[in-house]
Amino acid sequence: MIGLLKGMATTMKHALDGKTFTVEYPDVAPEVSPRFRGVHKFSQERCIWCRQCENVCPNDTIQIVQDDQRNGEQYNLHIGQCIYCRLCEEVCPVDAILLTQNFEFTADTKDDFVYNKEQLKNVPWYKDIDPLASREPDRGAWIGEGEGEVDYQ
Amino acid sequence: MPVPLQATGTATPTGTAANGTAGAAPPSAPLADAISGLLGGGLLGDVVGALLGAFLIANLMLIMTAVAGPWAKRKITAAFTDRIAVNRIGPFGLLIIVADAVRLLSKELVIPDGADRPAFDIAPIVLPFSALLGFAVIPMGNGIHLADPETGLVFAFAASSIASLGLIMAGYASNNKYSLLGGLRSIAQNLAYEIPLVITAASVVIFTGTLQMSGIVAQQTETLINVGGIRIPQWFAFVNPFAFVLFLAANMAEIGRNPFDIPEAPTEIVAGYQTEYGSVYFVLFYLGEFIHIFLGGAIMATLFLGGPAGPILPGFLWFIIKIWAFFLFTQWARSAIPRVRIDQLIEIGWKGMLVLSFANLVLTAIIVGVIA
Amino acid sequence: MSLEEPSPDAGAIEAVPQTADELADLLGDRVLDREEHVNAPGFVVRPDEVQDVLFTLRDEAGYDHLSCVTAQEYEDRYESIYHLKKYDDPTDEVSVVVPTPSDAPVSQTAEPVYRTADWHEREAYDLVGIDYDDHPDLRRILLPETWQGHPLSRDYDQSRPQVVALREHANPLQEDQRAGDGDTMFLNIGPHHPATHGVLHVKATLDGEQIADLESDIGYLHRCEEQMCQQGTYRHQIMPYPDRWDYISAGILNEWAYARAAEDLADLEVPEYAQVIRTMSAELCRIASHMLAVGTFALDVYGDFTAIFMYAVRDREKVQNILEDLTGQRLMFNYLRLGGVVWDLPEPREEFFEKIRDFLDDLPESLEEYHDLITSNEILQSRTVGTGVLPPEVAKSYGATGPVARGSGIDYDLRRDDPYGYYDELDWDVITDDGCDNFSRLFVRLREVEESAKIIEQCVDILEDWPEDERTIQSNVPRTLKPEADKEIYRAVEAAKGELGIYIRSDGTDKPGRFKIRSPCFSNLQTLPEMSEGEYVPDMIASLGSLDIVLGEVDR
Repeated sequence: MIGLLKGMATTMKHALDGKTFTVEYPDVAPEVSPRFRGVHKFSQERCIWCRQCENVCPNDTIQIVQDDQRNGEQYNLHIGQCIYCRLCEEVCPVDAILLTQNFEFTADTKDDFVYNKEQLKNVPWYKDIDPLASREPDRGAWIGEGEGEVDYQ
Repeated sequence: MPVPLQATGTATPTGTAANGTAGAAPPSAPLADAISGLLGGGLLGDVVGALLGAFLIANLMLIMTAVAGPWAKRKITAAFTDRIAVNRIGPFGLLIIVADAVRLLSKELVIPDGADRPAFDIAPIVLPFSALLGFAVIPMGNGIHLADPETGLVFAFAASSIASLGLIMAGYASNNKYSLLGGLRSIAQNLAYEIPLVITAASVVIFTGTLQMSGIVAQQTETLINVGGIRIPQWFAFVNPFAFVLFLAANMAEIGRNPFDIPEAPTEIVAGYQTEYGSVYFVLFYLGEFIHIFLGGAIMATLFLGGPAGPILPGFLWFIIKIWAFFLFTQWARSAIPRVRIDQLIEIGWKGMLVLSFANLVLTAIIVGVIA
Repeated sequence: MSLEEPSPDAGAIEAVPQTADELADLLGDRVLDREEHVNAPGFVVRPDEVQDVLFTLRDEAGYDHLSCVTAQEYEDRYESIYHLKKYDDPTDEVSVVVPTPSDAPVSQTAEPVYRTADWHEREAYDLVGIDYDDHPDLRRILLPETWQGHPLSRDYDQSRPQVVALREHANPLQEDQRAGDGDTMFLNIGPHHPATHGVLHVKATLDGEQIADLESDIGYLHRCEEQMCQQGTYRHQIMPYPDRWDYISAGILNEWAYARAAEDLADLEVPEYAQVIRTMSAELCRIASHMLAVGTFALDVYGDFTAIFMYAVRDREKVQNILEDLTGQRLMFNYLRLGGVVWDLPEPREEFFEKIRDFLDDLPESLEEYHDLITSNEILQSRTVGTGVLPPEVAKSYGATGPVARGSGIDYDLRRDDPYGYYDELDWDVITDDGCDNFSRLFVRLREVEESAKIIEQCVDILEDWPEDERTIQSNVPRTLKPEADKEIYRAVEAAKGELGIYIRSDGTDKPGRFKIRSPCFSNLQTLPEMSEGEYVPDMIASLGSLDIVLGEVDR
């Protein structure tokens, strides 16, 4: 019996102290950490069309079309299919594709989620936060030496 | 339905008037008579008075249920779980009641293949019907008391147990094994806890000597003791707290609420007897359950908490406060107490509660015999 | 590897053979050939002597834990590999390799030796196509019963879609129900059910309210994870997938299983700083996972969405906030890489440490609340004490690991017995409880949260004092990682639900040749009939809750 009453007392305490854990979204914007992986932003100016992002994507979500002179024509990314693993940003040597913190995106059909170059360029920064700044410290943390031969390809 | 046993027209409302004697006040139908008095009396006046009175009380109860179901339950549960629940539509989110009503009623009424048709359709009506029937004899203060027969208490219990019939009909007629399990469980539970409930109520009757609801309420307005100028009335909860706790537990089991909410244990048998019901039928079941909670609270208030009695505020408001307090208690228990298993439930009912309620009865008889 | 002395409390057994040569002597001429896997010696045996060999290894050499059964198809043969370990010493492993010919792959079942093999062999039959003689019930387990072909075998056309008509999926007990004496009732619990923790289908035969027979039907969440990992490169592409096996916040633990297996396969080093970060984030995941386990268990026993579930979810949210700051995501972290972690701690470091320390300070109070609401509640005790009983011997033969095994008194924890990461340098305890029932499993989980908190606190202290120029988060790993061909490894870590093991066979390319996941929930779920036959339906629901299964991991 005592255990029961203790349990009831605990819940009543929670009821009476009036603190809530939930936030009233969308009136109150939730806190998003600077490293949050949201929608991608692509910059054609920086891209060197090396196709590493397309190569590394686990999902085949990125599609790049080049003409026969290896000029980049299309860069399509299906943000509905993407699993937001950030491998494309990681392997990109020039930071041409980044993941912003923007998580609020909508479309009417699933096909509308295939973003081309233009749409990817126009993805807004979430609250004007530059995500690269949050990754800056990693440039200071070095990739160390290992025991095996250095074998970069 | 309420039939005044006296001559029509001029029966005195015996709501909160202190009647003193432990004896049967003449049975009457205060509300019906008041209305028919306004209309001029006669047979037509009586019939119209009775119907109108029933209409008013039923509406009152349904309004309270409508507030309790979609709105208050969510707000209370949210308070216990550190959340803010419905707060967008309307002031304090009250228009959620309208939104919920429209939503539920606009759903497709799905009748499962092989359902036993008349029983399937009648079951959701039986549940709220039985509870509303019970409200006919509850004294709510300020003359709002639809009927006051000599055997009011027995009528209240009898009316509320018609609900078991509804549950078993729903469980069986749904052509669904989960519903059947739920229906059988609910019948076992109702049977097990009906007897301790009635016997504990009987111990109250030993005190009052009358089964008439107004008499029971009137008995409780007498003074128990005077503590420093504050007069503590003779509420049976104070006189016999053991019976109060026993009745509380048996009541929770009768209406199917935690820790005894086995008939509709959602995580075990999906939704028990309610599994196959959608749209209107579901609304009826949902409302019916809440009306039953309020009926249980009302009977408890009448028997143990002095009915519509209390300082300053009019009796009716105190009555509402008391039944809402009971509702809050059920929600509190729901948040904090786990569910017992069916065999443990039956064991507690037949071995534990029955013995305790009989002991309580004997004890009360002794006390009354010694004192009076 | 396996060159240690026998453990001192091995009882009255005389010198138990431990080295590979001693085992070869023990098995005598049943050994056709010897292989060397990275983690264990392998003995090739004939397909019709499997039980003989396994009985010898179990009874005379003390290998009482069948960790995993891997099946694969080479160009010229099929192969089943039985990975055996000891509960007392999981670093002592041996693999029994059973090759079978390509045209008639039939091998003897190991089910009489270890009950674990029941479901594992069914899965091997289902996905690869090896037949097991004398198996009590060789049916498909992950794919629908009317599926044609075996997806992971070489002759399966993976580009051709297949539509399975479920109308042919007959109810095997239908006739019995009508023609029999009608004493029992067949009830389908799930896959749509509020309490089955995902899409699990339990076929229960009820005698009144008691369960006469119970059978789990899994495979509703089969997402071909093994095949997808076989199509991804080691270096980058496989790493997002382990998050999705046990998706209830245990992402980093799953990723660590893969990282450990691949790093040992390719001989990669991990810097110590990265090990500490890995340990800390893994224990945070463990807390989140156990919180949810406790919350959903309360959900099953108390009824919908009561206070305890909400409090558990609230505590889990706090952990997820910390992990979001660290890794960038709240559930699918993709934080570990081969050779280390991908990011250092977020700047400013002091803020991050303070956040963790605040969380750890609030944790004892929250745990007090849980103990008030759950463990000291009499009704819950009467519901869970003595129900869902799993005796330790039965648990061992089913290969149960994790809190399920520790709740039955088996002292098995890979963090301590087969150390990886930074665990062996920290001060913490393994929680076991001898109750063997639902309550003890719940209790073990609540206490493990405290132990994880201890580990995290120590890690935070260590990280705070780490000198700034020695913070290497990743050792250098080539962009394209191609381990030597025909190297096989089986490595396991202590995931939130138990022993999560991965078997990888490399074939010289940058993608694995065979990738087999040994999921703890798969073996734990197999114990459900043992626990609940003869008990009531509510007890079965409580047992299912206390097993804490995640269908993503069971079905992969």
